Amino acid sequence: MADSPTPPRVDAATLKQAQRAFESALGAGKVFFEAIDREGYKDKFAVNDAAHHPAGAIAPTSVEEVQAALKVANQYKIPLWPVSRGKNLGYGGTAPVMAGSVVMDLSGMKKIEFDPQFGTVIVEPGVGFYDLYDFIQKNNLPYWLSTPGNSWGSVMGNALDRGVGYTPYGENTKNICGLEVVLPTGEVVRTGMGAFSNAPTWQAYPFGFGPGWDQMFVQSNFGVVTKMGMWLMPEPESLMGMDVEFDRPEDLKAMVDTIAPLRRERVLQQSPSIGNWLRAAAVATRREEWTDKPGALSDSVIDAIRKKFGLGWWGVSLRLYGREEVNKAAYKILESAIKSINPLIIKPTSWVKGQPLEYSGWTGTPMTFPMQNVNWYGGRGGHIGFSPIIQQDGTKALEQFRRTYARYQEYGMDYQGSFAFGERHLINVNAMIFNKDDPAMMAKVDPFFRQLVADAKTHGYGEYRTHLDYMDLVAKSYDWNGGALNKLNTRVKDALDPNGILAPGKSGIWPKAYAGEKKA
Amino acid sequence: MNRALTIAFAALAMAGCAAAAQDAKAPAAAPVAPAAPVAAKPPAGPPPMPKPITLASRPGVTGGEAMFVEHCAQCHGPNGMGTGLLGRRVQPAMLEQRDNLAAAYVVMAARRGVGNMPAIPRGEVSDADLKLIADYLAAGPHGVAK
Repeated sequence: MADSPTPPRVDAATLKQAQRAFESALGAGKVFFEAIDREGYKDKFAVNDAAHHPAGAIAPTSVEEVQAALKVANQYKIPLWPVSRGKNLGYGGTAPVMAGSVVMDLSGMKKIEFDPQFGTVIVEPGVGFYDLYDFIQKNNLPYWLSTPGNSWGSVMGNALDRGVGYTPYGENTKNICGLEVVLPTGEVVRTGMGAFSNAPTWQAYPFGFGPGWDQMFVQSNFGVVTKMGMWLMPEPESLMGMDVEFDRPEDLKAMVDTIAPLRRERVLQQSPSIGNWLRAAAVATRREEWTDKPGALSDSVIDAIRKKFGLGWWGVSLRLYGREEVNKAAYKILESAIKSINPLIIKPTSWVKGQPLEYSGWTGTPMTFPMQNVNWYGGRGGHIGFSPIIQQDGTKALEQFRRTYARYQEYGMDYQGSFAFGERHLINVNAMIFNKDDPAMMAKVDPFFRQLVADAKTHGYGEYRTHLDYMDLVAKSYDWNGGALNKLNTRVKDALDPNGILAPGKSGIWPKAYAGEKKA
Repeated sequence: MNRALTIAFAALAMAGCAAAAQDAKAPAAAPVAPAAPVAAKPPAGPPPMPKPITLASRPGVTGGEAMFVEHCAQCHGPNGMGTGLLGRRVQPAMLEQRDNLAAAYVVMAARRGVGNMPAIPRGEVSDADLKLIADYLAAGPHGVAK
């Protein structure tokens, strides 16, 4: 049964009073402090099941209710942990950094305001990718989403956590245009042109006048975002491209050095992701179908997996979006570049408007099946990911891969790695799939993760996003000039949130009130 | 046991969520008329992935079915994670096709989580809405290719 954690310096009686105050402010139907609620808001994929337990949850459904909840939290010094839909499994889901926090579940805020002329949308936190997809289908709107591999979650939550999709609009956080935010002390602000009363251009121009603060509320704990403007990609006339496989681990170098210039030149406008054989195997099969040997998969098993699925050591899908004539011309450039580096297989794909659509991430279709990979080891599965930002350089990528792969073998974990292109960077996502019912395996995950952080740090590589367990560790690795950025974040935090009640510890930002809770 | 899995295309990935594979048995229950104008038959080769089930694909549904589509179909629709993983243990894998789901079991599985399914907390789906979903599934099997 769930324990009943309380926040630091708050006793059970005060927590009970706060619960009653939340009930008065929101109605009892939106306040959840039963054992089943404390269980239900835990981190499903936790490596350490003893950490990050919430005291309960509240579910405001309007800006006024968010303000009312913040007022109660300030009055009783109760830390709140806002989640939009809480489906960023692998990063903590609904669970707070600090045990005893009360989850502010915003999944009931589901308004969508769509401007079909300009392809912009305003979403509330509870709008999931499926909800927005449904809205587009219902209204037959000529726009595509850019969905992540698990599209169960919130459109806003994903962009605010810098999640990515696979279309040219795949860096979702770059397509934010205007936010409405409730500050920790209750004031409501709108950013960009939203600061201008009745501006019809809130979703047209992201910067407004003076400092542009949309990114201030991304991966931060400076406010509760209640509305987010976003640009959507107009449905293209044509989608062309190729799925390509390469035979050897060392082919990674040529792949990166060939694709990266095309990406920088914007011949390729989407964000391709180079990945290894386990991506397909872990989704479609379980490990026991391949081997019963512990430790990292052997080369003979890897060969068997590759043979069954027709894969190389690495694969990548490249896609061109837009006018058919332009795509045809660009395809020739792409084909010639890829053929010059000896791919194992090239499978061309081509679609034009009017033909049956491929329901995949390439067309911004929401999906959940990639999460089947958590069943790879059997048992209650889960995963976390170590994802440093590295240079768009083939030699550096290959070195990073070799170091990391050696660590997977050392720790006896199966390697699922990918190298996802931005315009000037690569995100090297290293997924660690695990089985929570295997204590020996679970004991290795934390030391393994910390080892990868340390290895990357040695080469100047920091993570772009991380699980609750590692927010302090990763924040500490951003250490230039004595950790000046974290100091700035802390000063901003203390100025905006004097009681430190909003998401203490998020991204390693600790308010004064809870500075003693910092780990690392 | 359902092991007949076909790779529709390999690669798609972030954060360990990757690879487009699909359950070769699922498409039979899948096809839904796309909203956009569509011509011609799909090309030969692996069956295409089905279109996601959302309320737009079942116009006019109400009650427990509408709640199921809104809150559950992402994973328990034709190409969802839940359907894929259940298909390794039980048939039919689609919850709407089951004739042996007790309402109390549905409520318990949703609230506590089961296997690889995370718990669905009360702030996301209220007790009243979950009861509608549970009663709908308990009244199954339902036709799903609407």
